[in-house]
Amino acid sequence: MKYTTSLLALLALAAPVQAEDITIGFAIAKSGWMEAYDTPAATAAKIRIDEINAAGGLLGQQIKVVEADTRTDRAESAKAGLDVLDQGAQMMVVSCDYDFGAPAALVAEGEGMNSFFLCAEDVKAGIQGVGPNSFSSSVLAPVQGATMAEWAHAKRNARTAYVLEDTFIEYNKGICTGFDWMFPTLEGASIVGSDTFKNDDASIASQITRIKALGAEPDVIMLCSVMPGAAAAVRQIRAAGINSLILNGSAVDGSYWLDATPGLSGFVLPVQGSIHGDDPRPEVETFNAAYEAKTGARPASQYAYPGYVLIDLWAKAVERAGSVDGAAVTAELEKMQDEPTAFGPRSFSAELHHQNTALMQIVEITDGKPARVDEWRISQPVPMDVLLGK
Amino acid sequence: MSLQILFDALSLGGIYAIAALGIALIFGVMKLVNFAHGQFIACSVFALILPSADAVAVLGLGALPAGLLIPAILLFGAGLAVLAEAFVFRPLRNASPVALMVASFALGILLQNLLLVTYGGRPKAISLWPELGQPVRLLSAEIPLLQLFVIGAVGVILAGLALMLKRTRIGLEMRAAAEDFGMARLLGVRANRVISGAFALSGALAAVVALVLVAQTGVADVRMGGQIMLVAFIATVMGGMGSLPGAVAAGLALGAVSALLQAFLPPEARPFRDAFLYGLVILVLLFRPQGLFASASAKPRV
Repeated sequence: MKYTTSLLALLALAAPVQAEDITIGFAIAKSGWMEAYDTPAATAAKIRIDEINAAGGLLGQQIKVVEADTRTDRAESAKAGLDVLDQGAQMMVVSCDYDFGAPAALVAEGEGMNSFFLCAEDVKAGIQGVGPNSFSSSVLAPVQGATMAEWAHAKRNARTAYVLEDTFIEYNKGICTGFDWMFPTLEGASIVGSDTFKNDDASIASQITRIKALGAEPDVIMLCSVMPGAAAAVRQIRAAGINSLILNGSAVDGSYWLDATPGLSGFVLPVQGSIHGDDPRPEVETFNAAYEAKTGARPASQYAYPGYVLIDLWAKAVERAGSVDGAAVTAELEKMQDEPTAFGPRSFSAELHHQNTALMQIVEITDGKPARVDEWRISQPVPMDVLLGK
Repeated sequence: MSLQILFDALSLGGIYAIAALGIALIFGVMKLVNFAHGQFIACSVFALILPSADAVAVLGLGALPAGLLIPAILLFGAGLAVLAEAFVFRPLRNASPVALMVASFALGILLQNLLLVTYGGRPKAISLWPELGQPVRLLSAEIPLLQLFVIGAVGVILAGLALMLKRTRIGLEMRAAAEDFGMARLLGVRANRVISGAFALSGALAAVVALVLVAQTGVADVRMGGQIMLVAFIATVMGGMGSLPGAVAAGLALGAVSALLQAFLPPEARPFRDAFLYGLVILVLLFRPQGLFASASAKPRV
């Protein structure tokens, strides 16, 4: 009798593991300021999950989603990781940003599970800052900066550049690192000056005074910044009558901030896919339509896309590995070289779980209207020591 | 070039001075460091747009002509502060200053989350008076019109406030309350009237900062106001807690020094501008722990 009871108890405990579903745990911000960035990417991830389930599932099983809220708080992020683990998660999707996603990703790493950042673009969000089973499907910030450098040099004849870095987050530093690495190596190109500001500076008048003190207006200004500081900086630069082409990273994608500088022209950024309905790849527009059908609105920025891509890549690796075991899936992911996705090819290696080069769409804002004007892939991947800031 | 830097310094200092004044006014009458002041600024900014979590902001109050918009936003800021006083700080009137301070933090968090719920976490664009960005030539400098407006407005506000404090009954009562609140009450100063008055003024000053910030940056963000609040608080400490001229002088000085550091630090040191700035603040406080202009009540009596 005693044995039967223990056996029953053991069976009861083991029950969640025997479930017929594959469970993906989302430990993401469902409240707090980060929510605005996590929700679109998580929604995109769920669109891909729905597609996979509709097509018969993964390894013949349906994918189930469980969720926990990090409340945009680093300590809550670890708790959210434990929470989805308790709910039976076998793979974990964590917040967009390294700082807010890493505590949860470390919980997954401790279990030998795969974790994917929704859209982190800092090299730490992977092997370097979490562990061997952690990935991000977005494009590293230095690649965005380098893409801007090479494209502006080739297509807009940029020869002089001024670098204005917002010291708020690592992402900004990454953009500038990539630009600083690429631009001076290009023929006839030089960086004529640089300066820093803080995202929440009430005014960047001193920085603008320094740009105006240059002998000639620079061809391009590489602005390494994110909202809201980026919109504020653009408004103040244009108000001061500086008409240089302004370059930025993908983080400022979306038209929601354009009212800050009415009639803005000559502002360029690289994106993984266009939200404006003019991407040359039909898959991108198919996704935009699916997103609109699910949420009632088109994606507000490109940061929905990495969510879709991460599930796509992970599911492919799971199929190839024949299991959801972290190490086995990691091995399959690391074999991916220019693996096609709806948003361009993606590669991973045993050194880097990020994209150190990528085909990017170039979006330019003219008269306050954003439009895709070109695409560009940097001529060589950003080297590892540049990524690591050595 | 140097004239340009002078204007940069004056306009940034002016914004900080107005924010510091808002904090010093309340500290003067009720020994409360109002950490929700930054959120008063943020709320006044968001009052310009219609509540909605959509990515694109639609102007609400912000669509009014300037002649109506400015009084409306000032009234909004003042009203918000008066409400905060009535519902949060009045019931705590006899609590310890620490309890009051914690309450102000709580109020700040409440207001910020209220903004998050109504407007979402994404920054919004507001194009308020873009024509103020036009640069004007003044001798050797090219100065955005807005900077001139800010410097002018700071001058007018300071003069107006000084007149009010010196010449009107409520001003006299406020100064008396700042000197010795208990004594002032014994002599017939009505506590509620003075404190509500100080809150209303402080809220209106927060609204002024909000308008300047929006005109300058063109964005609304739930986190905005936090940085200014911090600088303003440091300015009130440096100026001597409770001293109004002290807060103004220290606010101006902080803004000016910040602009000068940005202009003259070598590039490698520039990312650490604020470390230099606050290092200087520590130096000042080492030599004058009571602040530059300590109010009479801040000095211990022997």
